[in-house]
Amino acid sequence: MQENRTRYPGYDLLKEKDHWDDHTRAIVLKRLGPFEKHKFLNQHEADLIAAIAKHILYDERKELLDYVLHHIDNKLSSPIGEDQRKVGTPDQKVLIREGLKALDKLAQKQYGAPFLEVDPQPQLLLLSALAAGKAAPMTEWQTIPQKELFKKLATQITSAYYSHPTVWSEIGYGGPAYPRGYVRVEKGLTDPWEAKRNAQES
Amino acid sequence: MPKNHDYVQHDCDHYDGHRNNHLGKRKYSDGADICIVGAGAAGGVLAYELSKAGFKVVVIDAGPFWNPQTDFASDELSMQSLAWNDTRLVAGSDPLSMGHNNSGRGVGGGTVHFTGVFYRFHESDFMVKTVDGVADDWPIRYEDLEPYYAKIEKDIAVSGPKHFPWGPFQGPYPYPEREPISANALIFREGCAKLGLKSTVAPLAILSAPFDGRPPCINRGFCNQGCLPNAKFSTLIHHIPKAIKHGAEVLSDCMVTHVDVDKTGLVTGVTFVHDDKEYFQKAKITIISAFCIETPRLLLHSACPQFPDGLANSSGMVGKELMTHSAHDIFAKFHDEVRIYKGTPVLAVSQDFYETDQSRGFVRGYTFNAHGSRPLGLAKNLVAKAGIWGQKLYDIMRDYNFFAQITMVGEVLPNVNNSVTLSDEKDEYGMPRPLVTFGYSVNDNKLIAHAVAKANDILEAAGGKPAFVIPDTGHLMGTCRMGNDPSTSVVDGFCRSHDIPNLYICSAAAFVTSGGGNPTETVMAIAARTADHIIEEASKGE
Ligand SMILES: Cc1cc2nc3c(=O)[nH]c(=O)nc-3n(C[C@H](O)[C@H](O)[C@H](O)COP(=O)(O)OP(=O)(O)OC[C@H]3O[C@@H](n4cnc5c(N)ncnc54)[C@H](O)[C@@H]3O)c2cc1C
Ligand code: SF4
Repeated sequence: MQENRTRYPGYDLLKEKDHWDDHTRAIVLKRLGPFEKHKFLNQHEADLIAAIAKHILYDERKELLDYVLHHIDNKLSSPIGEDQRKVGTPDQKVLIREGLKALDKLAQKQYGAPFLEVDPQPQLLLLSALAAGKAAPMTEWQTIPQKELFKKLATQITSAYYSHPTVWSEIGYGGPAYPRGYVRVEKGLTDPWEAKRNAQES
Repeated sequence: MPKNHDYVQHDCDHYDGHRNNHLGKRKYSDGADICIVGAGAAGGVLAYELSKAGFKVVVIDAGPFWNPQTDFASDELSMQSLAWNDTRLVAGSDPLSMGHNNSGRGVGGGTVHFTGVFYRFHESDFMVKTVDGVADDWPIRYEDLEPYYAKIEKDIAVSGPKHFPWGPFQGPYPYPEREPISANALIFREGCAKLGLKSTVAPLAILSAPFDGRPPCINRGFCNQGCLPNAKFSTLIHHIPKAIKHGAEVLSDCMVTHVDVDKTGLVTGVTFVHDDKEYFQKAKITIISAFCIETPRLLLHSACPQFPDGLANSSGMVGKELMTHSAHDIFAKFHDEVRIYKGTPVLAVSQDFYETDQSRGFVRGYTFNAHGSRPLGLAKNLVAKAGIWGQKLYDIMRDYNFFAQITMVGEVLPNVNNSVTLSDEKDEYGMPRPLVTFGYSVNDNKLIAHAVAKANDILEAAGGKPAFVIPDTGHLMGTCRMGNDPSTSVVDGFCRSHDIPNLYICSAAAFVTSGGGNPTETVMAIAARTADHIIEEASKGE
């Protein structure tokens, strides 16, 4: 999964951090860790989410997954709402906690072992089935809508990952841009500090 | 609201430079002339115009009084806090995404994190029934709003092209158009030109030159995260501070939970909660400007013996005909970098497909906005709305810089089944959570298919390879529609409720149809007209 991670191998957006406003800098740098102990997730739940995240993100790097887990734990231990929830879906805390249990049960049913002990390929198949709402029938799915479970996990995982400065550097994103802004926005132009492509690339 | 809901607590009581956290010592605790619920696009304009006219005005908003310099950040994830995050239940064949997607919370409302694209509606938008035989006509016409459109544009120095080739207003805008434009906007314009379509630089509520002590835009591209330099208009930085100077009082972090009525059926004021404590604000006139979900929720929840079906609801139309815009994002990949993170997100537009064209097989139309995206917004939408994840998601994001994007703003016809009702689930105030039901009609879907194909044509003509489409929605309108007939509408053409003479309902909720372009200039024009009406009525001694 680690091949060709970036088209901008020489670019490190954190070198620009002195040009950011204080508030933004503090927010972004916190994502590098260290992180406090989880408040909501237990160890098994955290391990399960990390395993799921590897498939969703196509990335296995621990320092990034640690931040993803930290973000999700924060979300689940906060009283702030979840914007919207489909009718018939439980509160996100229940959805994820009970959903992860159901996932283990599903793995057990289909492959004779809990999710973490199943190989990556069948793990991926299980997740694809959830995403499509087509996992093997279980009573759990009556209270834990499969698609909603997958969507909740996948969006939280993705939101955190694409907020990490390492990932920003890799995709060549300019990142925070205040107070400096952009001087050269026209087609083909870049400011001197923006990501430049690998010269070998066509 | 749980105490730590607001990570920003700027006290709650603002007037004449005072900041007082004792709600018992409010400026108008004995009673105001006018109480406005919601300090968003409409509430901000109303507060400003009415306080300027000498009324004692209190504005109450559920969220914080943001300070851009210390509360905003150049960061998508943390700035999701600008949205109304409280859980809404969603249902229907096309359940809506709420939160950051369409709802603001706090002083400034949706204008704090809106994109600033600023259109007038066209003449046909106000008479859809007459022109196309669908939906309903508005009780007002373009000509009624025309002076208010002009006034709002001048008040906030809208920037835009010298010549705007669509609709009754052909420019020029008060401030010159933005230049330069981003690569994404240029690609859009090149594609349009190749196909013989008209395009212009976007009309924007964003400064192209200094105005009113605010600087021009520096192209950082974070308009949807709140503008740090104050180059983008919001009622937070424009109308509300001016209203405070004219004597208005702003109560932030105060959630209105009830609209109160006396025995004669007149509104006496509103009940609100701050830090778990309940207060009452008395007022002669109450205006609900709480947008399209919270407005009907509040009115329905305020049901009382005099009005058992909820306030202003004798027609049964409170909460009905909720509309959004179809807002699919169409992406194509280019050989060279586009870098859609750079510059104001929308810098070029086309309304060539705005009006009905019978040959297309559907009525009404849409606008195209060349639109930027940032990594979180893009990746999250790919997962949640397009169902793309795993290696495919990674492959797209790795080439993030090589995509150009067009976003459609498609008219969605009103439908009584699309609605806001009260669910059985309660929130922390004991108020029932809103149930938001939405599904597209056949006409809506045909319109979307047409727009997606055309956007791909434009991107292809510009040299791109069509890559993927994210089905999306944007903006909310309706749920307390205006009309002349009290049996089929909630408010009249001046946003005064048919049932209760001292209750006004003025925000995007009053829309009869959605139009095919971004709605906020129309929201503000309606609010300015409502303010004039209230001033006039008062001068008649009503
Ligand atoms: C991401 C995004 C981009 C957008 N881009 C554009 C654009 O480019 N162009 C455009 O024209 N429009 C755009 N919009 C839409 C625009 O934000 C809305 O049309 C506009 O804000 C609606 O104005 P309003 O006054 O009806 O409601 P709002 O501006 O939403 O104001 C409602 C206010 O009421 C408050 N409130 C609600 N309930 C209560 C209660 N019970 N007690 C106290 N206060 C309450 C809320 O906190 C809020 O401040 C965008 C919106 C979003 C979310
Ligand atoms: S792009 Fe311009 S208007 Fe938008 S947030 Fe940045 S400075 Fe403000």
